[in-house]
Amino acid sequence: MDYDVAFPGLIVTRLLLAFAPLPDSLIHDHQLSTPLTSYPRLLEGLYLFRHGVDPYSGGLFRHSPLLLSLFSTALPLNRFTAALIWTASDAAAAWALVHTWRARQQVKGKTSRDSLIAAVYLLNPYILLPSLALSTSSFENTALLLSVMFAVQAQTSLSLLLLAIGTHLALTSWLYLPPLALLCLTTPVSYLASPRPLPFSSNEITRKLGTLATEYSAYLLALAGAATIVAGGVGWLDKTWGAVFTLPDLSPNVGLWWYFFTEMFDHFRPFFLMVFSIHLAVYPIPLVVKFQHDLLYAVYILTGILATFKPYPSIADAGLFVSMSVLFPETYQYLRTPFPTFLIHLHSSLLLPLFHHLWLGSGTGNANFFYASTLVWGIGMGLGVGDAVWAGLLTGIKGRFKNDADEQEWEITQE
Amino acid sequence: MTTRVLYVLAIVFGLHLCCAAKTVEERFYEQLVLKPNHDGTVTSSFSFTTLIKDGRPRDPRTLGKEDESQHYTLFPLALGQILRDNAITELHLSLNAGKWDYLNWGYPEEDGVGTGAELWAWMAEGGPVTVDERWGNLRNALAGLFCASLGSLDEQRTTSPALTFQPEGDLPAFSSSHQLRHATLPSEHVCTENLTPFLKLLPCKSLSGIASLLNPHRLFDADWHGMGVHVRFLDHAGIEVRLSFQAVHNPVRYASDNRRDWSLRSLFDHTIEQSCPVASSSQIRVDLPRSTAAIITEPEPTARDDAVAVYDVRQLNGSLNVAMRWPDETSFEYPLGASSSPLAHMTVRRTLKGSDQYKGHLSVVITNHLMSELQTSYLETMPWLLQFYLHSLRVEHDGVSRDDLVSIVSYTPPVPHARPALLQTLLTLPPNSTLRLTMDVVKPFLRYTEHPPDAQRGWDLPPAVLMPLARDASAGGRVRRVYTPVLLVDLATPDFSMPYNVIIMSCTLIALIFGSVFNLLTRKFVAVSLRPPPPAQRVEHM
Repeated sequence: MDYDVAFPGLIVTRLLLAFAPLPDSLIHDHQLSTPLTSYPRLLEGLYLFRHGVDPYSGGLFRHSPLLLSLFSTALPLNRFTAALIWTASDAAAAWALVHTWRARQQVKGKTSRDSLIAAVYLLNPYILLPSLALSTSSFENTALLLSVMFAVQAQTSLSLLLLAIGTHLALTSWLYLPPLALLCLTTPVSYLASPRPLPFSSNEITRKLGTLATEYSAYLLALAGAATIVAGGVGWLDKTWGAVFTLPDLSPNVGLWWYFFTEMFDHFRPFFLMVFSIHLAVYPIPLVVKFQHDLLYAVYILTGILATFKPYPSIADAGLFVSMSVLFPETYQYLRTPFPTFLIHLHSSLLLPLFHHLWLGSGTGNANFFYASTLVWGIGMGLGVGDAVWAGLLTGIKGRFKNDADEQEWEITQE
Repeated sequence: MTTRVLYVLAIVFGLHLCCAAKTVEERFYEQLVLKPNHDGTVTSSFSFTTLIKDGRPRDPRTLGKEDESQHYTLFPLALGQILRDNAITELHLSLNAGKWDYLNWGYPEEDGVGTGAELWAWMAEGGPVTVDERWGNLRNALAGLFCASLGSLDEQRTTSPALTFQPEGDLPAFSSSHQLRHATLPSEHVCTENLTPFLKLLPCKSLSGIASLLNPHRLFDADWHGMGVHVRFLDHAGIEVRLSFQAVHNPVRYASDNRRDWSLRSLFDHTIEQSCPVASSSQIRVDLPRSTAAIITEPEPTARDDAVAVYDVRQLNGSLNVAMRWPDETSFEYPLGASSSPLAHMTVRRTLKGSDQYKGHLSVVITNHLMSELQTSYLETMPWLLQFYLHSLRVEHDGVSRDDLVSIVSYTPPVPHARPALLQTLLTLPPNSTLRLTMDVVKPFLRYTEHPPDAQRGWDLPPAVLMPLARDASAGGRVRRVYTPVLLVDLATPDFSMPYNVIIMSCTLIALIFGSVFNLLTRKFVAVSLRPPPPAQRVEHM
């Protein structure tokens, strides 16, 4: 379908869904929003803020002070405006994804894949449901996708600013800095099939990355400064960013942290918190090194890894990984296990709400039921990420074969 | 010989000097108020008051130095030491069991009738030890003194609700201001092991006087029972310690013939055999019901009028067994239907709704029985085990939303694992009608080490405290505190047998994913020829 028709059509559909009479339980759902992104907690923070109570003096509100000032002044939050704001955010993200695709194809105008890309984002249930639940993870995804779009359009400052905003909303996003900064400096065109080293000397890279990191830090500091002014102190730091390191709220989610630290012995808690936090930082550099020929692909893999391992993930993070896969059609034929991965995701998407209800709603199941389904979810995510890495690398190997006959004769494997 | 005489003389002289330096006048008063209720129960309120004339609370700034020596004859030394060591100005401790029924029993003699333990103290600031440290020392010392788990009244339960818990006495004019600390432990249960140390604080123990009625077998069998320790400072009198015990007995339950007649012997299984010699006054007051034909039999009261009969225990000849009979009644009929003149200004019902273990709904229904508008304060000191969504607070009156009837005076949000919430509000109750407050609540998820041994039972939540701002004429114009029953919240539990399994399984999954990604990123790709049969296997490095 033509993009000019399809895109507005999708947004209208999305808006109609937002205004549909949805069950109230959606906004309380643990899979769709986490303590850091939950809508009722945002409302509570706004209420306290308006009534002169420091929202960061308690443990319920963990959103950024900038959201607080935005929604208490410029955009008053109610059911009607919320539907509009969240739809607009999703639309912006889909638009960014389409423009990222165009930049990658070096196309100025429309492409035949535009409508598909917008649809994959706007109709992805992993994106749609958290957004209908008014989870602020929608804003985090939008900030990241816009940052990626500006990066592939070589608008470095805007890209870094958007990444800083994304980082401000969810601290773990700072891990995107190495691939995104390098993406600003290199071409967005797919080099997956013909790997090549970075077209800079290592001195150049260090110097350029240093400049970009400084710029990014300046944006981040400016946002933090603004937040401190809004919050009237630095109390917000501990409650928002600090929560990522100390996991004070053990509400269940699809991730691997919550049950681990519910069951953790008290004297080992700090050690494992440190291990889990450092584990996240292990990935960006190797990914950048291995995918130095196509840094957008490194960003893509990183979304999958963070969606699996971050402290407070929701299915919106997984949705970002799934939707971004639409940018890399050249890798599809090399995926080893797309169908099993799909089935595991389907399986866990049914298990998660079911066992959540059995444990916390009807009280007929126990916590292990839900924990087991988060493990299944973790396996599904791990399988998807591993497969994406494999396919991305294999594209480069297979690209060297001249024709199909060659391909029949050779089996690619790892030493 | 002479040396020995001199020695004795020196001791006597020294003792004399010491006592002359510090003559403390102490007074002891005891009283028992017996009140038959219209539902057939009898409320008995014991109070034992010791007064140190012209005593003054310790200034916290002198805490580092040696305290002036204290000599007590009637005043309980164990309690006095705790008060001096922590420079407590005013202290209230209550340990209760049961639900106080305001509608049938009226207001209690002692306000603190919340289920479980409640401790609150006013302390002056300043000095080398902070208020919070002294509060910690105080609750630990009292826990030891009364054999109660007051040590658990830690910072996770401590608030400072100064609006509702105003000092009952005076605050001495130290240069620094006073601070309130308040904590409740609704799951604490009062029993014999608390009563024994309580009785030890009395000058006559339970050997004589009114205290000889304090028979644990009967007291802890009562429908409602609770003990209290109240210390206050009165500017023109001194330091007063009031030990109180309240019980609501149900004589109908004890009687074989279903009658509500009672006597001291039937209620306590004891009579008063002798008076306490050191008591300056020792009285039993019996409230005489007006509406029913009740008579008090043997012995004649010392004084009586239409409403009350007074017995002076000090003028005791032989044993005293106050008794009340309803001669015209063959069996007691429980009064059904609402009483024509309610004994309380209002009734409160607080419930936690919703079956989910992660969210719920708090509902407070307050009925004003007065024909005039009533202002009341409403206080929640909620541990972080239940967290309010204050933005969802709705007030409904006669089916109409009336958010203007509630005004939030102060709110301190809870901090998980650290601090309870404190919500102080003012409500306006329209005349003779019912007000409904509803609020969404969040039930948090606890670490597995934070759950009590019987985790599935749930957690007791402290009562809300309301304070109708209408003056109660019967209580000398004092403002009453009204406690709601406690709540039980069912929190989600993890599987307690799982720590090792979870560590193993989660770590395995993480290692698996990390390992596969690491493998792919680091290991070398090779192309292996599939053409059969190669003379020698050819491997091309990519």
